[in-house]
Amino acid sequence: MSHNGCRGETELLLKYAAGGLEAADREAVERHIEGCGPCREIVAGQRAVWAALDGWEAPPVSEDFDRRLGARIARETSWRDRIPRLFSPALIRRGLPVAAAAGLAVAAILVMNRPKPVSPAQPVAVQQVEPLRPDQVETTLQDMEMVREFSGLVQPDPDSKM
Amino acid sequence: MGGATAALDYDAELMLRVKGGDSGSFALLLNKHRASVVYFLYRMVHSQAVAEELAQEVFLRVYRSRGVYEATAKFTTWLFRIATHLALNWLRDGKNERWQESLDQRDPGMPARQAADGRPSAEQCMVRESAFEEVRRAVAALPANQRAAVLMHKYEEMEYSQIAKVLHCSESAVKSLLFRAYETLRARLAHMA
Repeated sequence: MSHNGCRGETELLLKYAAGGLEAADREAVERHIEGCGPCREIVAGQRAVWAALDGWEAPPVSEDFDRRLGARIARETSWRDRIPRLFSPALIRRGLPVAAAAGLAVAAILVMNRPKPVSPAQPVAVQQVEPLRPDQVETTLQDMEMVREFSGLVQPDPDSKM
Repeated sequence: MGGATAALDYDAELMLRVKGGDSGSFALLLNKHRASVVYFLYRMVHSQAVAEELAQEVFLRVYRSRGVYEATAKFTTWLFRIATHLALNWLRDGKNERWQESLDQRDPGMPARQAADGRPSAEQCMVRESAFEEVRRAVAALPANQRAAVLMHKYEEMEYSQIAKVLHCSESAVKSLLFRAYETLRARLAHMA
């Protein structure tokens, strides 16, 4: 491990600090860090980090963890089980005649209580439209011709563009 | 998820039995991984109550997914992927309020840290508490994905390749995450040697 390679060897240094190297690699790292201050510092620092992390205890898991999980699973399972059961063939066989009878009863009630047809509304008075006079038609046609000519001036023929 | 590793993964076998309707195998999996999942989540979110709640959700999701489970990877990769996903979501959603609150509060679930010979002296307690707090804050200051990588590397002893699968990134990205994280931790904790 050369000084130029120190940066690239951080992984090796981390493994060494964790005691996870084979003898040959371990000896090579030890030889290197004897003469390399920065790498020695990394190893010492990393050992301190791992020692600190080792001391970070987590609290024990609650005793009722499994019971609570079991209850959640049971709750979920019971709901999931109930839904397919609604469509089970046995339930459909037994429930179909009852459902059909109930449907017929509802339909009968609806028919019997059907509201009376509403009497047609009063006929709407037809407004008289005054017929167009021939001179009005002629004026309109002239106006349309003017508009067409005006449009031609505003939007010149595309062929005339450069 | 690689199929080769799964063939030797006893956990995956248990999970396949759960898929087949064997609830006893689920109990075995829960018993085996309960603590590591809760501890991982506790160190991610710094609250015992939240960690247990999230861990319940992890195992609930495992149970829900039993029907579609395929043993294509190590079981723990899948398990920690769910746990990490939930923790990162929790941190992202409630980071501003709950994160600082959980750091500041003294967790009532914490065990009393005792000296080896029995009852700790007041001074020992204070020193330990102070050191513990420093570690906790140093880890808390890491970006969430660096924190997750460090916790899996240090406490679960996962290889870079497995952490990469959990975090959905490349191995080189994991190395980079870990190097940066340890660099930060060395700067903050090296004096504790």
